[in-house]
Amino acid sequence: MNRLTTLKEAGEKAFVAYIMAGDGGLKRLSEQVQYLQEAGVTAIEIGIPFSDPVADGPTIEAAGNRALKEGVTLEKVLLEMQQWTFEVKVPLIVMTYLNPVIRFGAERFAEECRKSGISGVIIPDLPFEHRELVQPHINKHDIPLIQLVTLTTMEDRLDEILKSAQGFVYAVTVTGITGTRDELSGEVKNFMKRIRAKSPVPVYAGFGISKTRHIDMLKDEVDGFIVGSAIVQAFHDNKIKEVEPLIQAVTLPHPV
Amino acid sequence: MTKVKICGLKESEHVKAAEQADAIGFVFAPSKRQVTVEQASELAKHVPVDTEKIGVFVNATIEEIEKTVMQVPLTMVQLHGDEPDELVEAIRVPVIQAFSIRSKEDVRKLENSKADYVLVDAPGTDYRGGSGRVFDWSLLQNATIDKKRLIVAGGLHAENVRAAIGQTEPYMVDVSSGVETEGRKDSEKIHKFIQQAKGGSMQETIEKKGFFGKYGGQFVPETLMKAVKELEQAYEDAKGDPEFQKEYHHYLKEYVGREQPLTYAQRLTEAWGGPKVYLKREDLNHTGAHKINNAIGQALLAMRMGKRKIVAETGAGQHGVATATICALFDLECVIFMGEEDVKRQELNVFRMKLLGARVESVTKGSATLKDAVNEALRYWVTNVEDTHYLIGSALGPHPFPTMVRDFQSVIGEETKRQILEHEGRLPDTVLACVGGGSNAIGMFYPFVKDESVKLIGVEAAGQGVDTEKHAATLTKGSEGVLHGAFMKLLQDDSGQVLEAHSLSAGLDYPGIGPEHAYLADIGRVQYKPITDEEALAAVVTFSRLEGIIPALESAHAIAEAEKAAKDMTSEEILVICVSGRGDKDMATYADKLEGLA
Ligand SMILES: Cc1ncc(COP(=O)(O)O)c(C=O)c1O
Repeated sequence: MNRLTTLKEAGEKAFVAYIMAGDGGLKRLSEQVQYLQEAGVTAIEIGIPFSDPVADGPTIEAAGNRALKEGVTLEKVLLEMQQWTFEVKVPLIVMTYLNPVIRFGAERFAEECRKSGISGVIIPDLPFEHRELVQPHINKHDIPLIQLVTLTTMEDRLDEILKSAQGFVYAVTVTGITGTRDELSGEVKNFMKRIRAKSPVPVYAGFGISKTRHIDMLKDEVDGFIVGSAIVQAFHDNKIKEVEPLIQAVTLPHPV
Repeated sequence: MTKVKICGLKESEHVKAAEQADAIGFVFAPSKRQVTVEQASELAKHVPVDTEKIGVFVNATIEEIEKTVMQVPLTMVQLHGDEPDELVEAIRVPVIQAFSIRSKEDVRKLENSKADYVLVDAPGTDYRGGSGRVFDWSLLQNATIDKKRLIVAGGLHAENVRAAIGQTEPYMVDVSSGVETEGRKDSEKIHKFIQQAKGGSMQETIEKKGFFGKYGGQFVPETLMKAVKELEQAYEDAKGDPEFQKEYHHYLKEYVGREQPLTYAQRLTEAWGGPKVYLKREDLNHTGAHKINNAIGQALLAMRMGKRKIVAETGAGQHGVATATICALFDLECVIFMGEEDVKRQELNVFRMKLLGARVESVTKGSATLKDAVNEALRYWVTNVEDTHYLIGSALGPHPFPTMVRDFQSVIGEETKRQILEHEGRLPDTVLACVGGGSNAIGMFYPFVKDESVKLIGVEAAGQGVDTEKHAATLTKGSEGVLHGAFMKLLQDDSGQVLEAHSLSAGLDYPGIGPEHAYLADIGRVQYKPITDEEALAAVVTFSRLEGIIPALESAHAIAEAEKAAKDMTSEEILVICVSGRGDKDMATYADKLEGLA
């Protein structure tokens, strides 16, 4: 994850792409990763499908259900990545709900993540209070547990979370679930400012980011953006090229 | 962790101050702290359900003691006189016997006590029941008394209680004069004492809060953490607030129509030829099931928190109807999520909710049943969390929901306990309830959990059979996992995907079970048995014809298992079934499945 800090120091913005592993078949995963790294993304979040994704909106839920129909599991995704022979040039982050990890065993999960070259883990339904269930295991392999903070996170809690933040902070831009939005609320900008002033690690904004105007609005306040539903939908519709301007709006120093 | 008892309470202000204590004591023996049965009964109304209510007696008769236990009601009895062993053994609730300790001889006496607990105190002077003087704790050092039975009293106060705990490692500490100022209880001192007594393990308590053994917790997205914490705080406050409890009980009585009878089922008793069968009649509640007990409690809490919008999930539609009803009563905005499958099989309840002014959202995702309705309700809550309360319908979800729902449903078991003592003069031998998420069952069981003689049986839905893929028998077939905010038992596949549950009964069609049930199953306090669709339907017919009560399909599961349990019981024994709801909502299913019934 050092690469992300280096980016921050260079003043460049990160673009993290989220994809649903196994949407369209597990074999597509390597294609998608290669495509995205060539397109200039900074890091890739590999989503693991789950039967009850309560933090996700319809786009990602539908993608997860398609992947589940293909028989995709956490284990299969990690093993698939261990077979890759192409050069992985960007950090890969696993995003999974907690239950598949518990079922797999946190220790074994950590071990397989290491073997698959995973650089970070995000678990949206594992709050800071219960992080001990997973964090010690992955930290043993120098894999950080990335925490989320939201518009509803109370100040003292925010301080606690930021104090021990690892990797980057996932700052949620909406009070709600994942999914594309037309507008972000005005308070988001101040929220990002507040977090960034306190955070020892880069701050990335995610949930609902799908338009260049979202990026223009927040670019000065954050270190990067996480884009999920827009990419998942584009891959599904075979229109991934249409997302490139969004990637460039973040990663190019001066938007074209 | 050592428990804390605050003794000799006379004023509601001090009862409230003692809300963090594990037990409170009322003194019925002559003393400056004496209260009448009526006073104690009034004070007891506002005591949290999981707090022990202990009556202190000196040489009272068994009749007096029994009467007081029933009227207050008390959960334990403490004896400070020269009560004979026969009396100690005759008392039906757990007994604490007190001994004044001067010498090692006194220690011998207490070692031979027949009581469940022994309390050690310094010798009394002005009246029996403790003088407030300190006894020599080191006398206990070599006593062969089981520490799990030991209660230490006598001269304790905030400054010395930790030392007393360190030296004697008792089950509980008991304080009275140590939390008084000029002969009257002092709220400040009560707080301080509890804090000190729990001091060393306070952190542990905070962290462990919301867990039942290893089950429970708050596994929700960060956006919900604030709401969950606020709810936790608000519920803590409300639980100890006599006004809140009064309001809740007011609506139970005046609106729901409680208390509900514990009906003796004569024909069923005769037909089964075993134990005396009693029915707890939750079917008589307004809206037709137990769900409204919880809906009222949570709606009052939501309003107390300034929230006037409610979201809820529903399976059978009973919880949806109860919620819509309360929202109409209190003029709250109401959205109900319901799986499409359930919308079809519980058509009548869908219309009821609409008639009551609720918006019903049909959920087409996943199995389109209760699990998916909870998912959607949670998503809705995440999005509208600032002004909306999630009124969950069972003993599920992140802390504090499982505890809170249990407390609001405990009225079932509390009434049952009082009523069976009135009818039979003793506790039942077996109590059964059906388990979906587990709210009617935990409400029925919780007041009996500490009464070891009472066998508790939870009945889950086996659908087409536990060896098929179509069942909802979570404890029989499930494994540990996290769903809907809590660590519990689940039906899941090898990769941690939650499976669809199957039951003809919409209210039991859920692949998880409340965390407290998972715990009670682990420690063996409650047995969980599966009943198939077919067995439940047969019970519907039997029950309707023998007792003239058409039960809900969920409740019929408990009835079917009761018939099995009755086979191993004698006519001397007593069995209680929680009839969680009436069958109106299931009439279409009954008409379909029982077609050709002669
Ligand atoms: C009549 C009745 N009994 C039981 C249940 C099961 O719920 P629980 O296990 O929470 O009591 C329901 C749920 O809808 C119900 O309507």
